Amino acid sequence: RSFTSQTDGESRLARVLREKFPRASAIKVVDISGGCGAMYEIHIESEEFREKRTVQQHQMVNQALSEEIKHMHGLRIFTSTPKP
Amino acid sequence: GSGSREAVERLVREHPVVVFMKGSPAQPLCGFSNAVVQILRLHGVEDYRAHDVLQDPDLRQGIKNYSNWPTIPQVYLNGEFVGGCDILLQMHQNGDLVEELKKLGIRSALLDAEKDQEKK
Repeated sequence: RSFTSQTDGESRLARVLREKFPRASAIKVVDISGGCGAMYEIHIESEEFREKRTVQQHQMVNQALSEEIKHMHGLRIFTSTPKP
Repeated sequence: GSGSREAVERLVREHPVVVFMKGSPAQPLCGFSNAVVQILRLHGVEDYRAHDVLQDPDLRQGIKNYSNWPTIPQVYLNGEFVGGCDILLQMHQNGDLVEELKKLGIRSALLDAEKDQEKK
């Protein structure tokens, strides 16, 4: 796949994340189920995660994507904060 | 039922290390559950409670409700939800897991491995 093409699922999830994390400096969504929308990898860097434990950061992403997650078999979340 | 808040609460408090997974430590049925088992094994943690959610649909849903976390595996240390496979892997890589195990009175096997290295 070229770097510019995205699946519908990847685009939709990225859009939801941009809405729910307005201060995010980087968002990347990758369908890791071969394009089937069954499993995703979410990478998100945001000031909103600062000072929060990893599990809390992941919970924020879970909440943001709670509707979409219902239709997935699994997801992997990688959160980070921007270098100060 | 087996998925009620009370039932799950009893399970997570059963032992300092409790894992809800797919399959068993002897035979994990999912790559992420296997990763949790392997990480614990690296630290010498073989005595823990593992629950196969594939055997119990009520528990499978109940544990997700309890932790408000949508995926399996789930790792609990001292009754507290710590995270899934990605978080455990991160804790293993950054040294946090050794510390958390120490708080439970469990000495990670990796500390002894390090001491052996230093002797050489």
